[in-house]
Amino acid sequence: MATQAPSVNALEIADATVPGRIESVFLRLAPGAIVGLVGPNGSGKSTLLCVAAGLLPATGSVLWRNRPVAALAPLERGRSAAWVPQEARFEFGFTVRSVVAQGRYAHGDDDRGIDEAIAALDLGALASRPVNQISGGERQRVLMARALATAAPLQLWDEPLASLDPRHALEVLLLARRLADAGSTILLSVQDLRVASGLDALALMDSGRLRAFGPPASVLTPEALAEVFGVRVRTAAGLVFELP
Amino acid sequence: MNGLLKQVAAALLAALAGIPLRAEEAPAAPVRVVSQTVGTDEMLLALADPGQIAALSHLARDPDYSAVAVQAGGFPVLQPNGDAESVLKFRPTVVLCSDYSRAELMAQLRRAGVSVVRFDRYTTIDDAYANLRMLAGVLGAEGRAERLIASCQERMVRLGRSLQGVRPARVIAPSVYGVIPGADTTFQDLCDHAGATNLASTLGHLRGHAPPPAEQMLGWPVDQLVLGGTNLQEALAPFLKLSPYEFMDSVKSGRAVLLRPYLLSCVSFHRIDGYEELARALHPEAFP
Amino acid sequence: MILPARYARFALPGAVLLLAAMAAFSLATGDVRLGPERIWAGLLHRDAMASTVIWQIRLPRMAVGVMVGAALAAAGLIMQAYFRNSLASPDLLGVSTGGAAGAAVAIASGWAAVSLWSLPAAALVGSFAAVGAVIALARRGASTERLLLAGVALNALLGAVTAYILSRYTDLYQRNAQILFWLMGGLEDRMGMHVMIGLPIPLAALALWPLGRPMDLLSLGEQEAQSLGIDVRRLRRRLIAIAAVLTATATAIAGTVGFVGLVVPHILRLLVGPEHRRLVPLALVGGPVFVLGCDLAGRLAGGLRLGIVTALIGGPFFLWLLRRHQ
Repeated sequence: MATQAPSVNALEIADATVPGRIESVFLRLAPGAIVGLVGPNGSGKSTLLCVAAGLLPATGSVLWRNRPVAALAPLERGRSAAWVPQEARFEFGFTVRSVVAQGRYAHGDDDRGIDEAIAALDLGALASRPVNQISGGERQRVLMARALATAAPLQLWDEPLASLDPRHALEVLLLARRLADAGSTILLSVQDLRVASGLDALALMDSGRLRAFGPPASVLTPEALAEVFGVRVRTAAGLVFELP
Repeated sequence: MNGLLKQVAAALLAALAGIPLRAEEAPAAPVRVVSQTVGTDEMLLALADPGQIAALSHLARDPDYSAVAVQAGGFPVLQPNGDAESVLKFRPTVVLCSDYSRAELMAQLRRAGVSVVRFDRYTTIDDAYANLRMLAGVLGAEGRAERLIASCQERMVRLGRSLQGVRPARVIAPSVYGVIPGADTTFQDLCDHAGATNLASTLGHLRGHAPPPAEQMLGWPVDQLVLGGTNLQEALAPFLKLSPYEFMDSVKSGRAVLLRPYLLSCVSFHRIDGYEELARALHPEAFP
Repeated sequence: MILPARYARFALPGAVLLLAAMAAFSLATGDVRLGPERIWAGLLHRDAMASTVIWQIRLPRMAVGVMVGAALAAAGLIMQAYFRNSLASPDLLGVSTGGAAGAAVAIASGWAAVSLWSLPAAALVGSFAAVGAVIALARRGASTERLLLAGVALNALLGAVTAYILSRYTDLYQRNAQILFWLMGGLEDRMGMHVMIGLPIPLAALALWPLGRPMDLLSLGEQEAQSLGIDVRRLRRRLIAIAAVLTATATAIAGTVGFVGLVVPHILRLLVGPEHRRLVPLALVGGPVFVLGCDLAGRLAGGLRLGIVTALIGGPFFLWLLRRHQ
């Protein structure tokens, strides 16, 4: 799927370098795919996501659907891509609903899709709660709901599953699947390689360089695992999570 | 209603542009004077009719600063740091101030139609005479002023004669505030007319109120300290524990003369009292 | 939020009514006793003394109070959104310290005595030089951390300048007294010219009005706001410029008045929540209510300057805030 050459790439990064963080990264993502970004701590995953989102200046080029990000107006950018940071720090007590509604800013502050986004992330009971009074995992879901509300075709999520409990983590993955099936592209960084092995494609980062890209089986080879992560792998019977 | 709006708009524009407003031309009103400083209080009480005095400065009744503390008891006084309204409530036609009065306050009073008379020079006795003449012109009391000046000049002549041939006493005016008076101060003027040498200016080369060279001062040949107060022990007490004064010979032996406190800062013609008092204290033999 | 959501709609009209009441009290207070009929007669120029007192003294004082309150409250709100910290205040970038240094130089050197315009002009020059220095020091896109540090450094430096001037000119007691008087901040002796100098304040407030919604997004994170469609660089430049103009002008016409920019936005946020579309107009009305209230309290307490009263209220309030934040 993602390895065939389609007509227009959802995201195309060419020779991106941020001194000290990432070096000479080339990446092409087709529409309608969930791509995982894996690598050890400090390998440049967050940096790459920021560069892909147009938030960090880098040498080289970043294109969304063949259009250079730098040439897009800020509002257009808001409609085209959504970025979810690794950590949420909310200083002020906006309600959950009003934070999610901020995702509609680039669409003229209408209220389309807000309630759906809140329901999809199971935030209905928290909708009127101030965001600075909820737990870390709940804050992460608020960020996700806001990204969802933007209805942007390119979704860039930084460690979205990190603070979620198993059920909500599964729901997020199912949500990503639904979005991808509808034509969006999701690039998310994951630490759990077992989850990663279930995604459409993986990009492996190591010390700022993109080591491999392709289907999970071809990326997570035993040699790669040993060299990059320093772990050995063997298959065994284990816990498999599903939604009831 | 339209006329009202126009009036209000005109007044707003005028207030913004800083144009003085007068509802109608006032006929020549009797003179009512508010005085903002102690120096002008003293002159006013000497030259004005009681009916011409609307209010005196907030220090007028303070014997530590005012030569006319007792006389001032019969008149209203201003609040310290008051605003324009606190002056206007006395309905003055003239306000007396000095160069260090709040400029904006004076501008507001002018704009309210009050005449503001500013006294800029008050360092020497000749300045004091000039100020008396200036005030007399405002009050219409020229004759009184000339008589006062004549008697002052007479006293100066007598004082000069008494002090002829006298060896100047070497003095300083110590202070607990960390600065002492050098040249170009009221104290210097006192010394110049009372047969005294202000060591702060001759040896210390200080101008204005400045911190003294503490170590050097220990070696100055001070004949007398000049202190303000009514009781010698009380006046000397703070310096017995204050560095560097506590180490000075003059302090330890208590060689000091007292002046009534207001005389050390008096800028009006009353400073002649200070000349005479200091001269008598320093040179008792010249005044049998 | 202390006010339930359905009452939050009435916050602004309520604040306007409160402001009208404060303004009326302000016009009715002063050393010259004027009853309501004389005040009205004075407004209409039918009573010479009353009209002088009302138009030349009380109205300019009230107008400057309103402008200063609006400016400092709005500037505080901007700083808190900009630095994403509800403890931020307008003095962070050295604007008021720069104004104080400029004023101290003008008073000490005697320029202030030459013309009534010198003092506010020097304060304005000092303020803008300070902001320029902070931005130049922070450089390179001026991240919030670098701006904060540059602001701290400059505040210290300018404070030293003012302290040096105060120590150097001790022999001119009166000039030192004037500098200290100005440093306390207050509404005494305000005239029409000060109202005129304050005209940039309503203009800056107008420029701020449409920025409420973008401020919401900015206050929850710069990168997040950028990804949601805000032109963050442009917004930040505008916000800094508006805050600088507001604070510098307020300082030039009333001296350094502290705590308004900290206390007022905070109270408003507690009452109606953090939505800036509501907070901006409320700050522009609530700030004047606070300043006029403090001014009245100071006058009734026997002549305390405005800066002293706001500090007396603001200090304990700040302590309470810190406790609450834990």
